[in-house]
Amino acid sequence: MKRRLFPAASLVLVFILSAACLPHLRRAKQFYASGQDQARAFRTEAAVASWMSALDEAERECRRKPSAQAFTIKGLAETNLGRWRDAEASFLKAFSLGFAAGEAWASDSALAGLASSFEQVGLEAPALRVYSQLVDKSDFKPVLMTAAERRTNLILARAVDTDPGERARSLAALVKTLDRLLDRDFACGLYHYLHAQVDGHIGDLRRSYEEAVIARELGLPSEKISRDNDNQLIYCYDKLKEILPEAESKAFAAAHSGWTKKWGWRDARTPAWKKE
Amino acid sequence: MSKKGVEAALARGVEILNGFLPLKSWLCFPVLYSACVWAVRRVFDYQERILAWQVWLDPEFVRTKPDEFVLHFFAGHEELSKAYSDELARGDLRTLRAAFPALYPIFGLEDSFLKALFKTEIDATDYRAIVVEFAARTSQARDAIRPAASNPDFWKALELIGMEAASLGLHLLKDEDVQNMIIGLVKKPAVLSPAIPPDA
Repeated sequence: MKRRLFPAASLVLVFILSAACLPHLRRAKQFYASGQDQARAFRTEAAVASWMSALDEAERECRRKPSAQAFTIKGLAETNLGRWRDAEASFLKAFSLGFAAGEAWASDSALAGLASSFEQVGLEAPALRVYSQLVDKSDFKPVLMTAAERRTNLILARAVDTDPGERARSLAALVKTLDRLLDRDFACGLYHYLHAQVDGHIGDLRRSYEEAVIARELGLPSEKISRDNDNQLIYCYDKLKEILPEAESKAFAAAHSGWTKKWGWRDARTPAWKKE
Repeated sequence: MSKKGVEAALARGVEILNGFLPLKSWLCFPVLYSACVWAVRRVFDYQERILAWQVWLDPEFVRTKPDEFVLHFFAGHEELSKAYSDELARGDLRTLRAAFPALYPIFGLEDSFLKALFKTEIDATDYRAIVVEFAARTSQARDAIRPAASNPDFWKALELIGMEAASLGLHLLKDEDVQNMIIGLVKKPAVLSPAIPPDA
């Protein structure tokens, strides 16, 4: 027992000592994480304030002791603040400094951030390649989730302007990728949400509804996504009620009513968060 | 419920904000209003999350929607369907798609900050002005918040103001009343009265 405890205790000690040595980096991460919490709860102004603070701290760290991690956090804060060009420069700097062993998560985060800044300045093709790479290879779930969402969004946006045949092919490929992600992690609500969104584009509203229900049950990473998922449920409910045969439509409405009661909605079309 | 108590708590919020944002800034309103919204919903009790040596970008909601969804959104909102009745009748998806990114977060997702930021246009049912102004005003707001970010106590104080207002019965007032109350306080010099404790 003692033998096992000793390396664990040493690891904790090293962790604590590193934290003490890196106050700016630590504070930058704290502010950044706090901004994410605020953003998930839909508190835009507080999130922006936290990311500003994260950026200030990361800039100090970059001046004091430049490292791949410091530039990654600087880039992530800049990305969330919409400073795409600065973010791109920060991520490139992070890669030029190189990530240490055990920093695969940081390297993946920086890649996702770099792709996001590419996307915002109109470089969609390289952004898509990076997201696809992360979806295939990353073991760091938060980055995997973000890459899956951004890749889905990009492909859907591109599909809007293509001819029907090409569009059907790219959406079918997208569904395959999402199915593969669900095979790996069926309990991830976000993947079900993304599936529901793509099914909506394909016109498979029944599947879209089911996926959105599963997403809601499993939970989603932010209030904003959760509300968007509720809107998808309402959209599918309205459309399915129109197109289903009468008997089936009644059964569907009864099932929907059961779900909405469970979720505390005011009626079949009004989630609790909607203004009365 | 004490309406006066709520008003006093909000007045303190305006006073605090005025110390951090440009005096009588239009930004006072959305910041304080969204603090109130979240105070009522009791989302302030989040613990400092497990920190978190690993940081990443968070996923967003899927912004690209099918045409049918866009039409359903505009047609399903009473005021928007009136404002865009011509486009809906013509099936002018080009215009509706262009307006969707600005209007969906406000009316579809009910972002309290954005709702407050565009209150004047919403009250005037001038939805097209929101679409035109959206990018510039949201980016302006992002920059204007910067000075407040320098003081870590600022958000904590605002949170307490929101919580106090909530404990005094803010949730029993109509959204409109709360908004008008804050606008009144922002427009005139704030007259502070002593805080009324929640159990008074």
